Amino acid sequence: MNLYNRRTLVGGAAIALLIAGVISYFASPSPDGLEKAQEELGAAGPVRPAVEVPPVVFQEYNLKGLGEGFWANAAAGVTGSLLVLALLLGVGYMLCRRARPSPLSPPWERGRG
Amino acid sequence: MHIASGFLSPPVWAASAAVSGTALAASLALARRRLDDRRIPLMGVMGAFIFAAQMVNFPILPGTSGHLGGGFLLGILLGAPTGVIVMASILVVQALVFQDGGVEALGANIFIMGVVPCLLGAAARGLWLRPKPGLAAYAVTLAAGILAIVAGASLAILCLWWSDALPRGISLAHALALMGGIHAAIGIVEGAVSVAVVRFVLAVRREAVLGPACADPYKEAA
Repeated sequence: MNLYNRRTLVGGAAIALLIAGVISYFASPSPDGLEKAQEELGAAGPVRPAVEVPPVVFQEYNLKGLGEGFWANAAAGVTGSLLVLALLLGVGYMLCRRARPSPLSPPWERGRG
Repeated sequence: MHIASGFLSPPVWAASAAVSGTALAASLALARRRLDDRRIPLMGVMGAFIFAAQMVNFPILPGTSGHLGGGFLLGILLGAPTGVIVMASILVVQALVFQDGGVEALGANIFIMGVVPCLLGAAARGLWLRPKPGLAAYAVTLAAGILAIVAGASLAILCLWWSDALPRGISLAHALALMGGIHAAIGIVEGAVSVAVVRFVLAVRREAVLGPACADPYKEAA
């Protein structure tokens, strides 16, 4: 990977991890816009059976076993950001590799595009 | 703005899953033809950034918070197809790992926070690709950012309405006005943050945003 791409990754990831790991701890605990509107409309609770995803590792944005403190939030934020990053790099390079024709491709597939 | 589990009726979540699934498939097909490999690291870190930013709820009214949507910003920086792929990835991770947003509501959430704002962002993208984006770019981005959030919020209410998830006696107009009002305030932040982040990314990684339509397949990155 060239230097340009490596610097994008390192710099971008550093910013994202700072926000996910540190700044997010100071987020407002109030319900978000949709939750608040649902409360005001008297529609806060589920009206049909919910699909429960078992909280295997994370209880919402807290690592299980660490309570709800700074480190539980930081672990969740850092893990989530890195998961998204890894997933997208995987998808991106898969798409890009497929887009790049091999030298063995027929000429009409070899052009730009 | 994630719709939680237990609200959407089967016809609504199935229809929205079909729409978002189609949009995602089309996005993958388009990105496959056009993705520049310099845009991949940007796409990855923008995904990580939006995930992080969505954790930061900021107070907007007493007892109410909001968080960045991010799809609008992704539409400007990456274009609609790549933006939709990034937003869908974030929402899947949030739903499956962090119990944020219902699994059956994924289609609706991808449409509300991905497809719609990404298209609006992509519409504003042209203004930023000019040599010197000026006041027009800032003003249009702010306005379109508000529109992106209010449109998504209205769609969320419509999905709840079609699912009979709003109590009887609540008028649709009242629900839309309440939701729209709260989200207009969130939208101002969304628009302003989008302007700031786009300016920053253009300043440090202009080539990755502009890029050629496709990297030269024979020029291997050094």
